[in-house]
Amino acid sequence: MTSGRRTGEFPHFPLHLILLIYVVVTLYPLLWVFTIGFSGQQSLMIVDIPSNATLLDRLRAIMPWPAHLSVSNFTSVFTEQPFARWLLNSVIVATATTILGVFLSCTAAYAFSRFRFPGRRAGLMSFLVSQMFPGTLMLIPLYIIIVQWLGLGSNFIGLILVYSITAIPFCVWMLKGYFDTIPKELEESALMDGASAATIFYRIVLPLAKPAVAVTALFSFMGAWNEFIQAATFMDKATMYTAPVGLRFFVGGFSQQWGYFAAGAIVTAIPIVVLFLFLQKYLISGLTAGAVKG
Amino acid sequence: MSAGPSHRRRFAVGLAAALVLGVGLFQWSLVRARARENSARAERVAVVALSALAEIAERAGGTGDDLRRVVVPVARENPSLTAIRVVAFDGLSLEASTAAADSGDKAAPRRLAREEKPLYDQGQRLRAAVETNRQEGGARKEEIEMARTPSGGLALAAPLEKDGSVVGLVAVETSPFPKVSGTGWLFPLLVLVIGMAAYWGGALAIGERRGVLAVAACALLVVAMVVLARHADGTLAADLRASESTVAAAVAAEEARAAKALQDASLGDARTLHPAAWDSDLFRRPYGIVRADGTLDEAKVQQGLAAGASSIARVIGTYAVLALAVLLVIGLGLAARLGATLRKHRQAYAYTFPAMFGMLLLVFLPFLYGVLLSFTDQSLYTSQAPVGDLFTKLWIGFKNFTDILGDFHVATRSAAGLVWNYQNIYWTLGITIIWTVTNVAYGVGMGLFLALILNTKGLLARPIYRVIFILPWAMPNYITALIWKGMFHQQFGVFNQIIQMFGGTPVSWFEKPATSLFACIATNAWLSVPFMMVISLGALQSISADLYEAARVDGATRWQQFRSITLPSLKPALVPAVILSVIWTFNMFNIIYLVSAGEPGHSTEILITQAYKFAFEQYRYGYAAAYSVVIFAILLAYGIWQNKVTRATEGI
Repeated sequence: MTSGRRTGEFPHFPLHLILLIYVVVTLYPLLWVFTIGFSGQQSLMIVDIPSNATLLDRLRAIMPWPAHLSVSNFTSVFTEQPFARWLLNSVIVATATTILGVFLSCTAAYAFSRFRFPGRRAGLMSFLVSQMFPGTLMLIPLYIIIVQWLGLGSNFIGLILVYSITAIPFCVWMLKGYFDTIPKELEESALMDGASAATIFYRIVLPLAKPAVAVTALFSFMGAWNEFIQAATFMDKATMYTAPVGLRFFVGGFSQQWGYFAAGAIVTAIPIVVLFLFLQKYLISGLTAGAVKG
Repeated sequence: MSAGPSHRRRFAVGLAAALVLGVGLFQWSLVRARARENSARAERVAVVALSALAEIAERAGGTGDDLRRVVVPVARENPSLTAIRVVAFDGLSLEASTAAADSGDKAAPRRLAREEKPLYDQGQRLRAAVETNRQEGGARKEEIEMARTPSGGLALAAPLEKDGSVVGLVAVETSPFPKVSGTGWLFPLLVLVIGMAAYWGGALAIGERRGVLAVAACALLVVAMVVLARHADGTLAADLRASESTVAAAVAAEEARAAKALQDASLGDARTLHPAAWDSDLFRRPYGIVRADGTLDEAKVQQGLAAGASSIARVIGTYAVLALAVLLVIGLGLAARLGATLRKHRQAYAYTFPAMFGMLLLVFLPFLYGVLLSFTDQSLYTSQAPVGDLFTKLWIGFKNFTDILGDFHVATRSAAGLVWNYQNIYWTLGITIIWTVTNVAYGVGMGLFLALILNTKGLLARPIYRVIFILPWAMPNYITALIWKGMFHQQFGVFNQIIQMFGGTPVSWFEKPATSLFACIATNAWLSVPFMMVISLGALQSISADLYEAARVDGATRWQQFRSITLPSLKPALVPAVILSVIWTFNMFNIIYLVSAGEPGHSTEILITQAYKFAFEQYRYGYAAAYSVVIFAILLAYGIWQNKVTRATEGI
């Protein structure tokens, strides 16, 4: 093993030590939220500390393990609080956003990759520039367009449209990079065999671009699942809140229901984290491929 | 294009399209303007009737038989009123009513029924409005409430006063007012036909000379628009005059009725009424056009006419510019060329259309609208105003920008030393730069460091480390922000527990700018490492081992290998990642907004959260938009500079 000899100068033990320290840094906030979630109470304190606390008491207070294990936060967040409804809203919005976003991005990216037409470069550059538009500049006009002109306030359709379309630039750039790597000869030979443009797109190009499409889907889904400020602006009715708005409702302002927040956060985060870990290989290859190609 | 299409015909099509557009828009606005004037007239007449009733009701003492004796006959004699009700707060009583429902055992006077509470509430709203306006010495809340009834009439309510305080309300309903008599299509059609005929006649003489044809068509269009503008001017001026005389007649009629009723009830001298004040806006500010004797103040009328004329000129001018653009685009063949391009690449355009249409509607249009807002004084209080007002009443030019960028009072010297002005843009910009540079530097440094360690061949449990280190990226960042905010809690937060464990005193993290910013940076640093780590790791793994082998053969040290092999190979992956992450961090709204919320006193805001606060806490939409445009300009300048330096977008 040549590389083994190369790195052989470094003993692995200190490397593991560094990595383990960073593991603690990474995991601590996550364990902490689990602790609060399973503590069965609303307080931020892991355990109560006596006034003349010893070092051991203090140490116990930062150990991420609840004083009493309880799932009551999880049950009451679903029964006493309308969190199930908020979660369902998020599922509806994120799923629809993903479907619409992937459709819009794939078609546009295919055209940008395969066809040479006037406005192509301008279109791609405008997508890039749009990434620099500050969200605060867009929020008021978007509110006017969505709520006042289109009458889509407190309506899923408004949020779905905004989410899927704001995800387009990133998705198009990413998919275009991937489509560029698919050899054109495949399509040309299919064309020879008499396939229509639509057939080529749906039967040849899309299946080949599966990893990139997966990343696009993940990106759109995550965007919609995690977005909070626009949802808070457009959704006036409490029954139409999405999960992020609802979670913020637990600990925003004067409300200090940290137990509900932690339980809700765990429920909200787990699917997205699992999905992310599942698809991250594609995301990373997509990002690096796009990055290296420029 | 020797055998190309005829210029004559092209300009004919162009002129026809432009005329149809101009005439259509003209007619549409004229119909709308006349309808507006018509309902404004009906509203003024209704307000006159209501104010007259309110005044004689006040004169009659606000309650009792006297009130009914004067109010009911006046209301009955007025043909335009279908119902009137007078409510006194004292005893929740319906003092007088001519409504059909209030007859028999429900006839006034009686106590208000439970389902009539909205009427009482309306009275209390009006009382609050009157008191607010008096306290502030201004006119912020409407003192007359007006709404459309289902039948097409108006429902109005005004406060009933006694000795200077509001003791009840007077509500009236009017019968539906007449619609505008048809605005003829004949005249605009005639303009269209004559315009086309004149062009074709001229074109036969001119022949295929393109320049002359263009000038002729444009001149005809301008003449047509001027004719239309004069026509609109005349029609609307006549409408306005009709309104004034109708209102004047209404004032005179109400005065006569009121005087008679007061006399019949022997309630004092009718000459002390204030009919000049009856024609007022909804804040009960008299327009002052109708004099007390029922005649018109001609100077005021002329003023109104002049204002109307200038607004017509502006509107028709805008339409003329639009129509001219259409004429030239079609006439000069641009439209034809565009059509040919669209046909030639129709597949590409069909594929991009849905995405492009969405982007135009929900990204670029809001952006342009935001830029427009930045030149105005728009705020929550004016947000219902029509878009046209942005160009006129609310337009303030570059004032927002000079206010934002020209304010150099970053700090003031006082006895206690320097006092920073946290809302100053240069302070916020400084914080934003510190925020961005620190985060990106930490992200790259830590990410690269971890990636180098993880890239060690044969290291145990590498995939496990990798998955754990990615977790912060996978977590929704608003959850991360709220978790860290909890961990920095002054009393219960984990960090203060750790500090106390080592015998320190707990820190109030969010009470000093430095510690508050530190808390935010710590949060963001935690979640920005994985992205850089993953990018670096990907790039490291793609470096061929042969390069290191060769370097070792040449006797290069590890540092030399890192400098001349690892770093250059990382560059193509890291540079775009750094650019992206600078832009992301610069605009990272959630962390600042949720962790420190700008505390203390907006000192830890970054530009984007500060803009949000201007918009949604101070409701200064125009100012916030200008602030956001400045942010965009900074990012754009950065992007262009980066692009120059790295040429990242080459070869699209």
